[in-house]
Amino acid sequence: MAIDNSGGATFGLQLWILTKRLLIRVIRRPYTELPTVLISAFFLFVYVGQLDKVFGGSAMPSSIDFSKGNFVNFILPFSIVSASISGASSGINLVEDIESGVFRRYQAMPISRWAVILAPMLVGAVRVFFQSGLILSLGILIGASPATGPIGFLAILGIAFLWGMGFAGYSVAAGIRSGSAQGAQAATFLFFPALFIAPTFVPREALSGWLSSAAAFNPTTYVIEAMRGIMIDGWISESILKGVIASGLFALITLTFAVIAARKVTEKN
Amino acid sequence: MFAVEAIKLAKTFQTRQGPVKAVRNVSFAVAPGEIFGILGPNGAGKSTTILMLTTLLRSTTGSAKILGLDVDKDDAAVRNKIGVALQETGIDEVLTGKELVQSTGRLWGLSQSKASERSAELLSLVGLTDAADRRVKTYSGGMKRRLDLALSLIHQPQILFLDEPTTGLDPGSRRVLWNEIIRLRNEGVTIILTTQYLEEADALADRIAIIDNGVVELEGTPDALKASIGGDVILFSFETKEIAKRAGDSITNSEVTGRELRTTVNNGPQSIPNLFSILQANNIEAVAVSSSRPTLDDVFLKVTGHKLEAVKVHENDDLGNHGGV
Repeated sequence: MAIDNSGGATFGLQLWILTKRLLIRVIRRPYTELPTVLISAFFLFVYVGQLDKVFGGSAMPSSIDFSKGNFVNFILPFSIVSASISGASSGINLVEDIESGVFRRYQAMPISRWAVILAPMLVGAVRVFFQSGLILSLGILIGASPATGPIGFLAILGIAFLWGMGFAGYSVAAGIRSGSAQGAQAATFLFFPALFIAPTFVPREALSGWLSSAAAFNPTTYVIEAMRGIMIDGWISESILKGVIASGLFALITLTFAVIAARKVTEKN
Repeated sequence: MFAVEAIKLAKTFQTRQGPVKAVRNVSFAVAPGEIFGILGPNGAGKSTTILMLTTLLRSTTGSAKILGLDVDKDDAAVRNKIGVALQETGIDEVLTGKELVQSTGRLWGLSQSKASERSAELLSLVGLTDAADRRVKTYSGGMKRRLDLALSLIHQPQILFLDEPTTGLDPGSRRVLWNEIIRLRNEGVTIILTTQYLEEADALADRIAIIDNGVVELEGTPDALKASIGGDVILFSFETKEIAKRAGDSITNSEVTGRELRTTVNNGPQSIPNLFSILQANNIEAVAVSSSRPTLDDVFLKVTGHKLEAVKVHENDDLGNHGGV
């Protein structure tokens, strides 16, 4: 559908008003955000607890000293990326809007379908952004110290925002396709292969066999590597660029899929 | 030009159990400024008809025009001219009433200040000023319907579609909505409403279409519909059975039971003087006379072959216009 402003607000204003409404919902029901924060924090503490002595010691032979002596720096990006599961709430929110008739009300108004889809994606991104911020703060408390300093943190949050938007778009598309909250929820199973068919605990060079090949096709790989670069090695433009492109492309693709799915739902048949 | 024109609308849904014909043949025309009632039981095709008229669903066959604009080809233009309140209210209950009305106003293109102005105006119109800053979650069913009505009026539509606006409401809330609907009509808004309540159609609608099984069976003013099944019933009472019997002999097409005589005429109020003069000519004096109309209940039964199963609006309904002389 073309962006049609006849008789209504501009596209930017539509997007802002729709996004604001969803943000108000999040702020007024903060407890629904708790589980995903806890999952990410859990991952952080558990993996640091389990693997710090194995990979974190500076006495390691240099071939496996990939964390340069600080395993928290190495595992923190994984924990942040795992916060992206909170983007899945966006799909559930959208299904709620379809079920309650809010979606249909929008259909009867001069509102762009792109704005209706993009708004929950943005809110998903904001969710992931804030949860990542929380996880980052936790990481600092237990010893993370990025090679790039505080600005590195901001860069990581920026990538997390983009990545969160993509994952939110994926859940929105799944929610629209299935038409049910359970469908949106079930589709988030992809979250686990996305997290673990990737250089989760070791660098990509250390992966072997099919996992090493498969990881190359997983956008999560590039997102984690970009964040790891910022944490451990400093400003390496190539890995950062790859991370931004991977998460940006992912967001663009899921947005398009969600809009196509929405068009089918509202095709008036 | 008609405000709303439905021409042989039909809608078949494809389901896993096979095709379902929700609407088979719906045609009617609504003049500007009318309240047009679509009366029928659950599943008759009322909501599907409303969805097609409001551009939210494409008809399988047939067409519809809103103020001369085709609902399929000019859907964006149509949407600017109509207000819609569907059965599913589509209200975010986490927001307050004021937030909802204001943000909806913004989406319709009003400026911040215009949106607050319009929101205050509409909320007071539907009697929700005191509840404006409360979350909709705390609203009663009637309050939600009124809020929904306010939302559908933001862009000052010329035509308002209300799908079962009072279903499930208590009598008091129903009355408030009725008054609001009448007030809107008096301001010149054309209103198309669906209902399963005979009393509601009778009290509000200038004209009614009776729909059953996806087909408009009959259409007209409430009075015309009632007249279509044989006019008014006139009831005379006499002092004695004998007098009643003599009256029965002088008035053709009448039926005498005890001291009473019953006859059906096209127009009760007009016929009563004639009937009286016939009786006078025969030197018969009546004690009392009354004229009553057939109810929409009778009409519905006659055209569809079954009664309209719906909960009664309530017992002491003084807005209804059933009554004697």
